[in-house]
Amino acid sequence: MTESGIDLERRRFIAFALTPSLIVLFAVAVLPAIYLVVTSLTPFQLTTPGSATDFSDPLRNYALLPGDPRFVNSLAVQAKLSVASVLFQVLLGMLLALLLNVPSRFVEFARTFFLIPMVLPPIVVAVIWKLIYAPDISPLYYAAQALHVALPALTSSVDFALTSIIIADTWEWTPFTFLMVLAALQTIPDEYSEAALVDGAGKLQIFWYVTLPFITPILVISGMFRLIDSVKAFPLIFLLTGGGPGTVTEVTNYYAYLLAFDTNEIGYSSAVTVVMLLLVCGISLGLVWMGRRKEALA
Amino acid sequence: MNGTSLRKATPGRLIAITVTLLVLLSPFLWLLQMSFKTNDQILQFPPPLIFTPTLQNYVSLWHSAFSASFVNSLLSASLSTALALLFGVPAAYALSRWAGRGKHALSFAILVTRMAPPIAFTIPFFLFYRWIGLLDTITGLVLVYTSFNLPLVIWMMQPFFDTIPVSLEEAALVDGARTRTVFTKIVLPMVTPGIAATAILCFLYAWNDFFFALILTRTNARTAPVAVVNFMNYEGWEWGKIAAGGSLVMAPVLIFSLAVRRYLVSGLTAGAVKG
Repeated sequence: MTESGIDLERRRFIAFALTPSLIVLFAVAVLPAIYLVVTSLTPFQLTTPGSATDFSDPLRNYALLPGDPRFVNSLAVQAKLSVASVLFQVLLGMLLALLLNVPSRFVEFARTFFLIPMVLPPIVVAVIWKLIYAPDISPLYYAAQALHVALPALTSSVDFALTSIIIADTWEWTPFTFLMVLAALQTIPDEYSEAALVDGAGKLQIFWYVTLPFITPILVISGMFRLIDSVKAFPLIFLLTGGGPGTVTEVTNYYAYLLAFDTNEIGYSSAVTVVMLLLVCGISLGLVWMGRRKEALA
Repeated sequence: MNGTSLRKATPGRLIAITVTLLVLLSPFLWLLQMSFKTNDQILQFPPPLIFTPTLQNYVSLWHSAFSASFVNSLLSASLSTALALLFGVPAAYALSRWAGRGKHALSFAILVTRMAPPIAFTIPFFLFYRWIGLLDTITGLVLVYTSFNLPLVIWMMQPFFDTIPVSLEEAALVDGARTRTVFTKIVLPMVTPGIAATAILCFLYAWNDFFFALILTRTNARTAPVAVVNFMNYEGWEWGKIAAGGSLVMAPVLIFSLAVRRYLVSGLTAGAVKG
């Protein structure tokens, strides 16, 4: 076979290997996305025949959004939930990584167990916290009772419901930021901190001037990843609060779910979902941009 | 001064690590111990820390509709894993060897499909399935799970193919072998560990799904995660059974995670960190 013959045969194989996946991805990702946008332009309800193809007022759903108090509230709840849980996850993950960044066989073995909350099925995480938050069987309430403290029912209290979700979400995802920060920490050459030590720097100074600048990019990136994923928080809210009390824990994702599969407003729900999708895409693009900058700096 | 002066495994630090681990895992351990208690023991105050464990919860689960949902979960997770590997492994190889433009754009597009919130796909899938009659079927679930596992396979397998020197393949090609043969006979055997790790992660992602199963199934194809939640609604508050159900759903996940812990990082962070 000649050189160009090999090339041609190779290119043909690459096309042959890639095409089926591209077709499948197009069918299961691109087509649904297009369909979602199309549906968002209709007043589609399963019970109303013909509503799926009614394009008489295509932007009606989007025009309704700013005046829908539940939608506006859901964005605010989402923002509170995302910002609080991401901050806690990055902070706790970093502390955990600093604690475990030691060369030891035992620590390496223990590291795997720190990942358990993250690998558990999300619904099992929700069940675990349901047991912790259920007053009649929870160790939390046993402890409160033993100390003669009256603890309110956390998940059904207006003041604590969102906090209880944030706690559970932080528990579930701190291992993720921990893992990322630890990976970054392990790439810092020991010589840097040793040099600083020789120059008389204290432990805090070394952290502030040597370690922190080194891990800042990974803190930001892991935070962004968590931010994107926090939009998906569903099992916790579904099982612990159901969006309540009232709409205190009703995030946009959950509102869209209720609209489509509880109140049957599929067209309107699609519009809410499209807005959410655009927000996620925006954050993703920011992430890619930041990744590029990091590569340019390195 | 020795090289690890700042990062030393002092006894104090090891104790701190152990205590942190116990605190972190305590909610999880609470669920586990509860699954071995009778309902009376669960409601007892103060909670008995030492008790005779019972398998009663597990036994009664096994004789209920839960076992069928467990089988559904197994079937849909393994079939979708097989399909995703069948399509994704050759595609990952192609992307790894393809030097053309558009490679990065394609990789990014593949990543984006993983980042989109599931609800964006649920509404179209629900309407489409309702129309062609795939609601509440294993086939329907397998299709959905393949859709989010395929990008994962492509993303995870690419670095494995990148590590295989092209010169190795070129030698065989010059000797007259076809690319297809080189791929199946030389390249694939070298990435078997990668395929195994990817397969397990795919299985876990499908196994862990709750949202799609909640919406796309009713009774016939109901998966184990949905069945656990159903106890809460229909069987009253049988905490022991709920805890046992939760423990059964997480058992395969814990076993598999231990098996692939080396690859867990790249699979869970999906390319966020290199290496």
